[in-house]
Amino acid sequence: MTDQECPFAHGMSRRGLLGRALGTAAGAASVGALAFVGAAHADDTSTPSASASADPGSGSEGTTAERSSYPFEGTHQQGILTEKQRQAAFLSLDVTTSSRRELQDLLKTITDQARFLTTGGTQPNAGLVETDPDSGIVGPTVAADGLTVTLGVGASLFDDRFGLAKQKPARLTRMEAFPNDALDPALCHGDLMLQLCANNTDTVLHALRQITRATRGSMQIRWRQDGFQSPPRPSGTPRNLLGFKDGTGNPASDDTGLMEQLVWTKGGGAEPAWVEGGSYQAVRIIRMLVEFWDRVSILEQERIFGRAKDTGAPLSGDAEFDTPVYDQYGDSIAYDAHIRLANPRTSNTADQRPFRRSFNYDNGVDPNGNLDMGHLFVAFNQDLERQFITVQKRLIDEPLVDYVSPIGGGYFFALPGVQGSSDWLGRGMFA
Amino acid sequence: MVAALVVLVVAAALIALGRPHHRSSVAPVAAAEPAHSDPSVPGVPVEVGADVCGQGWTGGKAGRQTFALWDNSSVGVEVYLQNTDTGKVYFDAEGIGVDVTRSFSAVIGPGHYRLYCLPSDGDGLPGPTVTVTGTAPASTTPAMAPVTDADLFGPIAKYHAWVTSRFPTLLRQVRALKDDLGRGDTAAAKKDWLAGHMTYETMGAAYDAFGDDNDAINGMPASGVDPAKDPHLHGFHKIEARLWGGADPAAITPAADQLVKAVSKLRTDFKGERLNTIDIGLRSHEILENALQFVLNGTDDAGSGTSLATLDANITGTLAAMKPIRPLLRTRDTELAETDRWIKRSRALVRSYDHHGTWTSLDALSTRQREDLNATISETTELLSRVATITEPRGATQ
Repeated sequence: MTDQECPFAHGMSRRGLLGRALGTAAGAASVGALAFVGAAHADDTSTPSASASADPGSGSEGTTAERSSYPFEGTHQQGILTEKQRQAAFLSLDVTTSSRRELQDLLKTITDQARFLTTGGTQPNAGLVETDPDSGIVGPTVAADGLTVTLGVGASLFDDRFGLAKQKPARLTRMEAFPNDALDPALCHGDLMLQLCANNTDTVLHALRQITRATRGSMQIRWRQDGFQSPPRPSGTPRNLLGFKDGTGNPASDDTGLMEQLVWTKGGGAEPAWVEGGSYQAVRIIRMLVEFWDRVSILEQERIFGRAKDTGAPLSGDAEFDTPVYDQYGDSIAYDAHIRLANPRTSNTADQRPFRRSFNYDNGVDPNGNLDMGHLFVAFNQDLERQFITVQKRLIDEPLVDYVSPIGGGYFFALPGVQGSSDWLGRGMFA
Repeated sequence: MVAALVVLVVAAALIALGRPHHRSSVAPVAAAEPAHSDPSVPGVPVEVGADVCGQGWTGGKAGRQTFALWDNSSVGVEVYLQNTDTGKVYFDAEGIGVDVTRSFSAVIGPGHYRLYCLPSDGDGLPGPTVTVTGTAPASTTPAMAPVTDADLFGPIAKYHAWVTSRFPTLLRQVRALKDDLGRGDTAAAKKDWLAGHMTYETMGAAYDAFGDDNDAINGMPASGVDPAKDPHLHGFHKIEARLWGGADPAAITPAADQLVKAVSKLRTDFKGERLNTIDIGLRSHEILENALQFVLNGTDDAGSGTSLATLDANITGTLAAMKPIRPLLRTRDTELAETDRWIKRSRALVRSYDHHGTWTSLDALSTRQREDLNATISETTELLSRVATITEPRGATQ
């Protein structure tokens, strides 16, 4: 942390950033202040009250205490195995420069912003020569508030613009439509994927505004989907907007060995060396036809998923975390039940499981009066083809497809982590 | 609790500065007799106002200095923190009310400084010059010599003269438009409409600068209303909607006649209009701000598809507003070269869509082209916001 004196030291001359020293919470006093914030959250959650939901700073009933900050540096980026925060924004961005050097500056700027925003601190005064560099929407001192910033790159970044074709992660492709998809081209693909997650919406929007302001000339938002995670209702895994617990069977993020097999990309072989420690990210905007769904009997809904709606238990068991039993006649869990197709639980499908980090979304209303809401599916993979794509192909024409409609998304490669104060996101691509 | 607060502020200052090992950031040294400011406001209490200025500040060490400025007089006051060696100002605490205490801070290096008070009803009152000692911090708050009304009178007169000089061209073009329509020559009318509209769009009418006159000349098409039939729409866009919508030229002539009259009226009104000194910096920034809001999303396009021509004219107008204040900017805006680079880039990009007077319409741009355009104009506008801030007139210190 010795370079905290000049966190924007990468030589970019974006407005308001040149020659500034940004205060970060790297020092002892501020870390203490953040710890205090974290403690306040813990107090809130341990004594849930009727007003909890009205207080943006408080946790909610039943959730574990929210963490106040996550380390920015590491082998891997934050926001991948990080326990899901409550609020999220996913931004697909296109790079608008065609200069290799400006792309590097852009990545350095994103790194510097992410480092500051995920740590917290105070921006210096603007003086008389410019407008305030901080939007101020989270107050004069920025709290990390559980923010994670995670950057991925899309296949289009490796076209002929930047001379990066040879550095393309071997398994990174442009997302192809699956048979049940209804993809809107305006909601697909992108040069970059910026995932912002935090405990509160204002923190997500603050990060979004600070980062886009500092990078206006070099990248533009292609599409954006915000998401949220519901609290457990009443316990266990949070529910999706079809009312089912979603993610019960997700591989355990604390199983380091398993994560090495399922999430983290290895350099070597077909892969360029620099991809070590990254992860392939599938992002899919899946519209849910909730009015239609609500007109379907619970019996049928449960048969479609293979789980009980109230408890989340597999139809072969009693409790949410009981291991599903797939009997050969499909009596309790049907052959074409979602959980059975998605995860057959056989030895040769074990390495096909992606690590999911999905959110719910709510986008307003359609001209026909139907609510526009759904599932922001996010999955991290060591190998897209072996994992997400294989599973998705097994799900083609599953009974659930009548009630959901994938309308956008893309494949990205979440970059390896930033290691050390002089490192920056994506540096390995340019080696 | 108060003491704890102060300690926290000092600690934050140490971290913000990032060089605690140099111990270069220390709270200002308080005088023996502190002012009676609101003790909950962070910073060392300093008395300011019409009779006393800077009482309570005795200098201290280089680094972040935080002041609790308390107006102990019967009028509001504006306070500068000024380096007396360079004349540069670090903060401009505007509009501190009677008996109000407000916190301001700056990171400053060693040297001689003073607080300078500008009471709302009287002459400037310099505070005592104090000495700040210690090591220069890694970076200090950007400072500059404030721009005053007196600095801006000359540039405003030049800008007024420039806008005035555009009227003969504009009048000639809108009269030609009227004549074309009278002759039934739609092709010529479209050409002269575009020429006239581009001239007007260079003249800095952004954000109501010309008031009602602008509504008569260049009213904005309203959302959800057919601009060709909207009785409340006048001027260029009304004519545009009808001309490109295929209306009979003779039927459009009355609107063109009204446009000629409206331009003549603006010319007369503008002759007598006294621009405020704050306007020139604002227009340098806001012409493109207006373009981002209304031109780049197609709001002001009533059928001609010439938004990019409008944008080109807006860039010309921005450069015209900046020209007279460049001497002020050269010594103050460290990003001026970068700003000029982006203006140039914007202009080249926009003009790449001019095919001998036929402009590509926004609808015809690909997603990538649109993103490139949005990025370039947005970045330029970000940089231009500095111009407005720097040239905001402030009270004189001498």
